Amino acid sequence: MTRVGAAVAVLLVVLAALAAYPLVGTGYGVRAMLQLFMWIALAASWNLISGLTGYVSFGHVAFFGAGAYATGILVSTAGWPWPPAALAGGVAGAALAFLIGVPCLRLKGPYFAIAMLGLNEVLRALISYFEGLTGGGNGLSLPTLQATTPVYYAMGLTALLVVALTHAVITSRFGLRLMTIREDEVAAEAMGIDTFRHKLYAFLLSAVGPGIVGGLAARDQGYIEPMSVFPLATTITMIVMVLFGGKGTVWGPVLGAVVLFVFQEAVWARFIYLHQLLFGAIIVAVVLLMPRGVLGLLQMRYRLPRTI
Amino acid sequence: MAVALTPAMLGQVVVSGLLAGALYAMVALGLALIFGVMRVINIAHGPMLMLGAYTTWLLFDRFGMNPYLTLPVSAAAMFVLGALLQRTLVFRVVDAPELSSLLLTFGVSIALVNVAQLLFTSDLRSVEFLTGSIALGPIAISKSRAIACAFAAAITGLAFLFLQHTKLGKAIRATSQSREVALVCGIDVQRIHLIAFGLASALAACGGTLVAVMVAIQPEMGQIWTFKSFLVIVLGGAGNYPGALLGGLLLGLVEQLASLFLTTQLSEAVAYVLLVLALLVRPSGLLGGRQT
Repeated sequence: MTRVGAAVAVLLVVLAALAAYPLVGTGYGVRAMLQLFMWIALAASWNLISGLTGYVSFGHVAFFGAGAYATGILVSTAGWPWPPAALAGGVAGAALAFLIGVPCLRLKGPYFAIAMLGLNEVLRALISYFEGLTGGGNGLSLPTLQATTPVYYAMGLTALLVVALTHAVITSRFGLRLMTIREDEVAAEAMGIDTFRHKLYAFLLSAVGPGIVGGLAARDQGYIEPMSVFPLATTITMIVMVLFGGKGTVWGPVLGAVVLFVFQEAVWARFIYLHQLLFGAIIVAVVLLMPRGVLGLLQMRYRLPRTI
Repeated sequence: MAVALTPAMLGQVVVSGLLAGALYAMVALGLALIFGVMRVINIAHGPMLMLGAYTTWLLFDRFGMNPYLTLPVSAAAMFVLGALLQRTLVFRVVDAPELSSLLLTFGVSIALVNVAQLLFTSDLRSVEFLTGSIALGPIAISKSRAIACAFAAAITGLAFLFLQHTKLGKAIRATSQSREVALVCGIDVQRIHLIAFGLASALAACGGTLVAVMVAIQPEMGQIWTFKSFLVIVLGGAGNYPGALLGGLLLGLVEQLASLFLTTQLSEAVAYVLLVLALLVRPSGLLGGRQT
């Protein structure tokens, strides 16, 4: 029990430090932390569907982009304040997930993965097509607003909530059912689990976070266009972070996001042309050599509880 | 954007659709082969096509080779690369959960794209060899597309003859029907996996060579081919080789038909809607279950 107490104490100290950071941090520092929060929220969201159910989403950035556009349109055209607009971004993400999930998650196998692979391109095309609403290829500008600090808190809160949600799911019966689907879907069905419904719920949950984060990122950057909010690279980064940290765990995505983000800022920025090659190599290496990621290794080695 | 459909336009759609469809069918047959034999969806299938296209561009640009004569070179090169990939990486995940094989081939695919960027830069490359079109009454047929279709049809036909009548082809089909029974019958399943992966990559490379003469070449051109090939095998029925043919032709026709009413920007969305509809209405494919 003391170990749990100590862990909670450490967590509270870290959260307090992060909450106080904008008071002392530099503009660059705050912005970097905001980015880190974004990656934590994205990675943890991807983990909710792919880490827990084993259904790989190769297009999770689609929800990020959908959220960014929903927020952007509501703020610039309808004049909404950005916080409810970002929440609407989350709703947009979930709505899109519903549209894709209903046809694609009914079936077992790779259908879902490939459908997600193509989704990105389609959204990009649609956004360019509906120029009147989205500004098309010219992009969409949000009214100027200096809101880095509020967005910092909003992003941090989103990241925290997605991680808390992951914890709640993993420690619940719902989470156990999801992991049963991952291990053996036929057996899960035989045990009476409505696999389609469970997969769909997990997918909807996993789309809300990226939608909100997309909205917040749109507010923060003040300008969005199809190429910048739907990059395949964002999906790749999410996947690498989760795989590296440990898929199907609560803290694995956080660990992966922190480590890879720091590395990316410190080292890889100079080797930008090798980025994808490196990420590809990490994915291959993790899949073959340590499928449970760093946290999985630690869990086995130090007999840590599965709920970490 | 209402368009009055004249018979000539319809003829144009059918011809263009079949021309494109033959190419889709050939490339998708490769993906279907890997899926049939190994139960692996190879996300790197499209990037293999991209590398095939670059092989052709390189030989054309540096040595002035006739692009159609580079076909055996790019097919052989990708056969070797595919077999190598299977032998070093993919064989380790054949029996693993699907998550592993999808992620592994995804990792390979982004690495290949990056390698192409490093080797050839992201500049658009083109093989300007055969331009212009032939007029067939009111219907215009692009020369490069017609030749691509002829090659694709011939190669696909050969591939079917090979699968149908040679001992190796029969072994491949037997392995896709049941690996265990194939093993019991004395088929070296590991070797079949290797050959199937090589052949599939060679089919993608042939697609790359033929596409190189038609469109601009760039490192990210492959991804959409992975998607479309998958769509084709979903339409035809996963693991169903003749189904891949039908699916390819259908995709070509639907895309061309849609291009009459929509801008080309949306043609990818059309393929997507087709996938979603197919999954909703007939997830087992037009020709139904597995048939090799």
